[in-house]
Amino acid sequence: MVRITTITIGSGLGLALFAASAQAEWTVNLTPGVTDVSRSVFDLHMTIFWICVAIALVVFGVMFWSIFHHRKSRGAEAHNFHENTVVEVIWTIIPLLILVGMAVPATATLVKMYDSSEAELDVQITGFQWKWRYDYLDHNLDFFSNLSTPREQISNEADKQEHYLLEVDRHLVLPVDTKIRFLLTSNDVIHSWWVPALAVKKDAIPGFINEAWTVIDEPGIYRGQCAELCGQDHGFMPIVIEAVSRDDFQQWLADARADKQRVTAAAERTWTLDELMQQGEQVYLRACAACHLPTGEGVPGAFPALKGSAIATGEVAAHIDIVLNGKSGTAMQAFRDQLSASELAAVITYERNAWGNSLGEAVSPAQISRLLEPTTGEAEQ
Amino acid sequence: MSDKPTLWQTLLSVLSSFFGVQSERNRERDFHGGHPVHYILTGLLMAALFVIAVILLVRWALSLAGA
Repeated sequence: MVRITTITIGSGLGLALFAASAQAEWTVNLTPGVTDVSRSVFDLHMTIFWICVAIALVVFGVMFWSIFHHRKSRGAEAHNFHENTVVEVIWTIIPLLILVGMAVPATATLVKMYDSSEAELDVQITGFQWKWRYDYLDHNLDFFSNLSTPREQISNEADKQEHYLLEVDRHLVLPVDTKIRFLLTSNDVIHSWWVPALAVKKDAIPGFINEAWTVIDEPGIYRGQCAELCGQDHGFMPIVIEAVSRDDFQQWLADARADKQRVTAAAERTWTLDELMQQGEQVYLRACAACHLPTGEGVPGAFPALKGSAIATGEVAAHIDIVLNGKSGTAMQAFRDQLSASELAAVITYERNAWGNSLGEAVSPAQISRLLEPTTGEAEQ
Repeated sequence: MSDKPTLWQTLLSVLSSFFGVQSERNRERDFHGGHPVHYILTGLLMAALFVIAVILLVRWALSLAGA
């Protein structure tokens, strides 16, 4: 029995070691990151680490030496005394000096971290259950960034890829060598926007605006996650930053704005039922399937089924209303600002014609865009 | 032993309580001859001075960073 257990543990350990070596970039230490601040944080971390190592060596060194040197077999006898003011003062002053010594560089780094003045670019980051919205203030551009890892990988029906749960449909594109200010807030519960390579980890709190900033040195892809438990899909709202040169950023901005206009224009033309169903399925899997499931069956007791439901097979106005405006007191969000008119029309059409729901009618994007007009993003600003 | 602690001794006792270390001899003296109100008042005064010192320290640190 004992032998079997040992073998099992042994092979388990072997597997664990193999798995660890298979992940080439896996390290135990903090990342030095790609910004001036992240490098200061890393240096601070290493400085304090080595101070701790030195303290441990001295304290345990003296302890072990004393135990060994004054052992009983050598005839050592305990010296009984109650207190010694001098020794107490010494062991209070030394830690005090060490703490002050650590506080000086730590304060310098903190002051730097909090100085978000003179930023060239402002990006508002809003946390949603469970996605991020990025708003390029002054550039009339905003979009949602959703998890793009396929459902099959999450449910183990397909192999997990390299960036499993760390990939999104739209990257937060940022220019390098530019001071960028992040304004963080939330639409529902407290989230936390965390990108280790930038050494930025800041809470996104509903009703508050927190500030952070960065200047990225090197172009590249930097990944992060939500760092504040925010509900069911807390682990499914990653952050992906794509840092590009300043010229590429201007080009990207122009392209993204042109795309946005094309989407708005697309709502004006007439869509066929097939087109709507096709796009609707994509939108559904991206925006709805997390709760209502790809099969439309929902989760009994938590998220209602859409398959054969009263709303998805009933009056179209009520269906449009709940998708656009959500339902307060439940997890059902308002999607009017999250999806474009054509996406909304497509997904509603899809829900009314999929999984055996067969109303055969199409909701047109033009119909939705008329409903969106009074409170679209631009009107609010 | 029953001598009353002087103002200076009271101050030193309060400061050593801030520091967290006091000799047994001083403790005996304080508890035999001292009056609690003196220590409380000195303590409040020193706490206020400590807060002011921290405020000044932070201002100084921020002014260094701003420069």
